[in-house]
Amino acid sequence: MKPKSLMTESSSKETLLNAAVLHWMHDLAAQGIVTTDSELNVVEWNHWMFDHTGKRRVEIIGRNLLELFPELTQRRLDRHYKWALEGKVSVLSQALHGYLLAMPAVSGKHGFTQMQQAVRVSPLSHEGRVIGTLTIIEDVTERVAREAELQAQIEERSRLLSSEKLARNEAERANRLKDEFLATISHELRNPLNAILGWAHMMRLGKLNEANMERAVETIYRNAKSQAQLVADLLDVSRIISGKLRLDVRTVDLISIVTAAIDSIRPAADAKSIRLQTMLDPAAGPISGDADRLQQIVWNLLTNAVKFTPKGGRIQVKLQRVDSHVEIVVSDSGVGISKEFLPHVFDRFRQADASTTRIHGGLGLGLSIVHQLVDLHGGTVAVQSEGEGKGATFTITLPFVGVISQKEAEAVHPTESAEILSFDGLPSLEGLKVLVVDDEADTGELIGEVLRECGSEVIITRSAAEALVALEHHKPDILISDLGMPDEDGYSLIEKIRALPSERGGNIPAAALTAYARAEDRMRVLRSGFQFHLPKPVDSAELVTVVASLAGRAYKS
Amino acid sequence: MKLTERQSDALSELINIAFARTGAALSELTGHRVLLNPPEVAVYRTKELRDALAKFVPGDVASIHQVFAGPVAGDALLLLNYAGAVQLTDLLTDEHEPSNFLDESAREVLTEVGNILLNACLGMFGNLLNVHVTFSVPRLHLETLDELLASITSNKTEIHYALVVYTAFQIRDSSVKGFLVIVLSVESLDRLIQEVDAWEAQSGR
Repeated sequence: MKPKSLMTESSSKETLLNAAVLHWMHDLAAQGIVTTDSELNVVEWNHWMFDHTGKRRVEIIGRNLLELFPELTQRRLDRHYKWALEGKVSVLSQALHGYLLAMPAVSGKHGFTQMQQAVRVSPLSHEGRVIGTLTIIEDVTERVAREAELQAQIEERSRLLSSEKLARNEAERANRLKDEFLATISHELRNPLNAILGWAHMMRLGKLNEANMERAVETIYRNAKSQAQLVADLLDVSRIISGKLRLDVRTVDLISIVTAAIDSIRPAADAKSIRLQTMLDPAAGPISGDADRLQQIVWNLLTNAVKFTPKGGRIQVKLQRVDSHVEIVVSDSGVGISKEFLPHVFDRFRQADASTTRIHGGLGLGLSIVHQLVDLHGGTVAVQSEGEGKGATFTITLPFVGVISQKEAEAVHPTESAEILSFDGLPSLEGLKVLVVDDEADTGELIGEVLRECGSEVIITRSAAEALVALEHHKPDILISDLGMPDEDGYSLIEKIRALPSERGGNIPAAALTAYARAEDRMRVLRSGFQFHLPKPVDSAELVTVVASLAGRAYKS
Repeated sequence: MKLTERQSDALSELINIAFARTGAALSELTGHRVLLNPPEVAVYRTKELRDALAKFVPGDVASIHQVFAGPVAGDALLLLNYAGAVQLTDLLTDEHEPSNFLDESAREVLTEVGNILLNACLGMFGNLLNVHVTFSVPRLHLETLDELLASITSNKTEIHYALVVYTAFQIRDSSVKGFLVIVLSVESLDRLIQEVDAWEAQSGR
């Protein structure tokens, strides 16, 4: 037992300390402190609370907290006091409540007008009984602002990080594709080269008999040709990539372009007994574009279709007008395209899967070129396939320009107007009789119209047989013939004509309409008895000039 | 000590009532529908706790810890794994960009959520036992499970049991798993189980 005086001393010291604590809480605490009794009448309202609310102790003490601040009840925060009276402690986070009692933010620099608060509401108990509540309010405005700033920085950094990662992945992918592409190129270029070198070596050794010699030359020629095609594709791709591909845009007739492409692919299709079906809507043309490139587009699609369609298969080419655009649809009954590869069909350097390439050969650049060229024409190309073995359908959509008169054409291309020959400036074809042979009525009519415009008389026929009859009957001065025609083509026609005596038209000057103006086509055209070749689609000025110049000379065999 | 199936069912049902209240409170607070999955209840000795919880909460644990005192006394904790804690606060605060860590504000939210849940459960026990229990201010800890278990068993010499309640918060098509752990003395647990038996008998089932 301690002496009484000591006890008094220690208890008075305790009392002093308690008073000091209360004084500290009241005047110095950096938090808001509010105490109530068990009726929620305010007992303590510290200086911090006065500082931040402007409400003085005398206005507050003894009054009911929920009556003083009805918003507590409105915001359903009164329940925390109810719970406190049941002995429970409540935490009110800033993130979920913002604040307990509205007070202006100390400084506006953090973007808050209201002070952001973190609050604890606790019961005050004595001997197991709740006798009041204690509320402690902390100003967390600055902390919240700092956290938001930090969060934004982290998000920005992670965004940068992920976009950098994305870019790196993309670069790595592109690099990988390029490697694969190079591997494919060297394989594809070496394949024909092996054959060329092998057969050339045998020829040098002089050990080939005549039959094998012929075979050697044929093989070398075929392989060199296929290599030339690969190189041409590569050059196209590199031109497209470097943006050096320029389109020679004119108003062109799609029907003749599509027909020309079909003509040039027909032998390959015939060799595989592939049926070529065409449905060409005469209302589809004209469009504005580069005739050679448009033909290349169709030719690439057709080559692709022939390559991937097995023997006895079917390829359908449809040309149709749909609203304000023209559609070229090439569908085949070939190997089809897997769902996985479908989105990558047009990717440059994204070869079809290696196994297919090995079976079918080629660089797989054709479709990428198609895509780029269609793009340059302001069109779109889409592919559909039900899956492997179920064929594929390519649909090209090109903007339709409607019929443009010469005047409008000049207005559209004012810079080119000087180069466009008006009919006035063309040589007169007065007194000339021209025989036109084309199975496509539209093309025939177009040519006829141009020639009539320049004063000539025109006879239009739809086949070689009709042409031979007309030759005898009308005695024309000039012959313009298409090469690709069903039944009998232009080569056969000119051979028959050249076999005729001159009085029956055997020496008639003739020009061929060629689809694909390749050097070997030109050679064949000239060798077979034509004097000129006119690339399809026909350019009016060129046509008239050719006819005029042909009028000056007869065929001499 | 093992709970009989009936006791376990009754206790689950009681806790489920508290969970429903918690879900309602959180829904109102956040403006999102918050549900707590029906609880699964088990009793372990505290020294078995580690094995019971380890596989569900590997790595760091976020715990909201409240001590309660009175005729029934002990520790109540809400346990979440760290990623779950981050996800839960993101979901509750409409954070669109997922965070990777708990900042002070997130910790506060977590503390509030734990507080609501623990208050509801302990309040329910208090009512059931008809005793007045006082609570400490909730504290959030981030530590390993071992550190956490050491801190709640260190100063207890007598045998203690832990009532482990497994649940999951369902918010906006997401699910965050968590544990409620209530550590009780043998005496307190006995008393609780007696009252649960009585409640079950009284509710005539």
